[in-house]
Amino acid sequence: MTAWKAFRGGLWDEIPVLRLMLGLCPTMAVTTSVKGGLTMGLSVVFVLICSNVVVSMMRNLLKPHLRIMMFTLTIAAFVTIADMYLKAFQPVMSEKLGAYIPLIIVNCIIICRSEACAAKNGIWVSAVDGLAMGLGFTIVLCFLASIREILSTGCITFSETAVWTVLNPVDKGGWFTPWAAMAMPVGAFITLGLTLGAVNQLTKKKA
Amino acid sequence: MSNSIKLFFRESWLLMVSAVFFGALLAVANAAWAPKIAQNEINKFSNLAKALLPEAMKFEPLQNKDKIIIDLGDGKTAGADVRKGLDAAGNCIGWAFLAEGSGFADKIKLVVTADAGFTKLNGFGVQQCSETPGFGDKITIKNGFYQAQYKQAPAGKFTLTKIGDSKKIDSEIVAITGATVTSQAVVNIMNTYVVQIKQQLQQKKLIGQ
Repeated sequence: MTAWKAFRGGLWDEIPVLRLMLGLCPTMAVTTSVKGGLTMGLSVVFVLICSNVVVSMMRNLLKPHLRIMMFTLTIAAFVTIADMYLKAFQPVMSEKLGAYIPLIIVNCIIICRSEACAAKNGIWVSAVDGLAMGLGFTIVLCFLASIREILSTGCITFSETAVWTVLNPVDKGGWFTPWAAMAMPVGAFITLGLTLGAVNQLTKKKA
Repeated sequence: MSNSIKLFFRESWLLMVSAVFFGALLAVANAAWAPKIAQNEINKFSNLAKALLPEAMKFEPLQNKDKIIIDLGDGKTAGADVRKGLDAAGNCIGWAFLAEGSGFADKIKLVVTADAGFTKLNGFGVQQCSETPGFGDKITIKNGFYQAQYKQAPAGKFTLTKIGDSKKIDSEIVAITGATVTSQAVVNIMNTYVVQIKQQLQQKKLIGQ
């Protein structure tokens, strides 16, 4: 595998949520706001790059029966660091994302990339693969979150002072009645389902 | 015997070395960020309590001998973080404490305040909540109808009702439509903490009977 192939794979050919169907639980759970999706995505980027690099460094020493245990140990360490960092410097987002940051440990994307890429390739390719997969995941989270947040609140909120109003909501004197359902699991299923349908349509091979 | 020990180390040395390495890495991260994390928790508690007891200049923890233990049921107990709200002259003008319990999605943590005699609540603020956006998370809305029902409410047992007058301040709390579980969770947290803290403060003669 070349670095370019790994990069292109993460961003389109094997984009985790839409093509590999991996990482669907956090995708459903944290895409109620763009800020939440972005924080989760960047945390996954950090964990993916670090775990891929470490697994790649130890790939020649891995025993088959200890493989999964070593992957889990590596991933858990970096997830804990990401969790502590968020608690220290982004406490509001850390509370908002709740258990989903520690649950990155069991995110299928990360263990899949350790097994499929990092355990078989060099450090450079593994790092690029981690970066691309993480960015692909982040882009999808932000895309889904932006649709859900706009339809459920009428605007995208980055902070108390930075609010981008897209559809002027009724509670701010506008015309748009927010769709509360879009902030709920049903909104996640609908948005993800329609997005998957659109991507499948785009990539459908002609007979 | 020695062969089996050799085999054990040969097979698992990488795991042991990695465990030590990652353990050290986590210890360093913890040493660097734990004070900041603890300070964030204290700041959040103080900010929420100060919003409810604006005259308080500082919130002083109780002495060890006055430590409050809460019976959570099923044989479980927990120490409650109860603080005395002091004004500029050092007079007690109210009480603030952290109360927590299970919500619909995850644990809910509340900062609850009461007046100096612990007869009425000054309301609550939400320290941690992962309830459903648009429904259960309405408990976090400052001065929203749900939080407002606890302001000046008697410091005692609360009951939840689905229909009622939410503007009437008493021990009957009107639930949030579509979020009965979360509304009940807050009532349960209040019922667990408020009554027991009041009783123990009275026993320790920190408030009147």
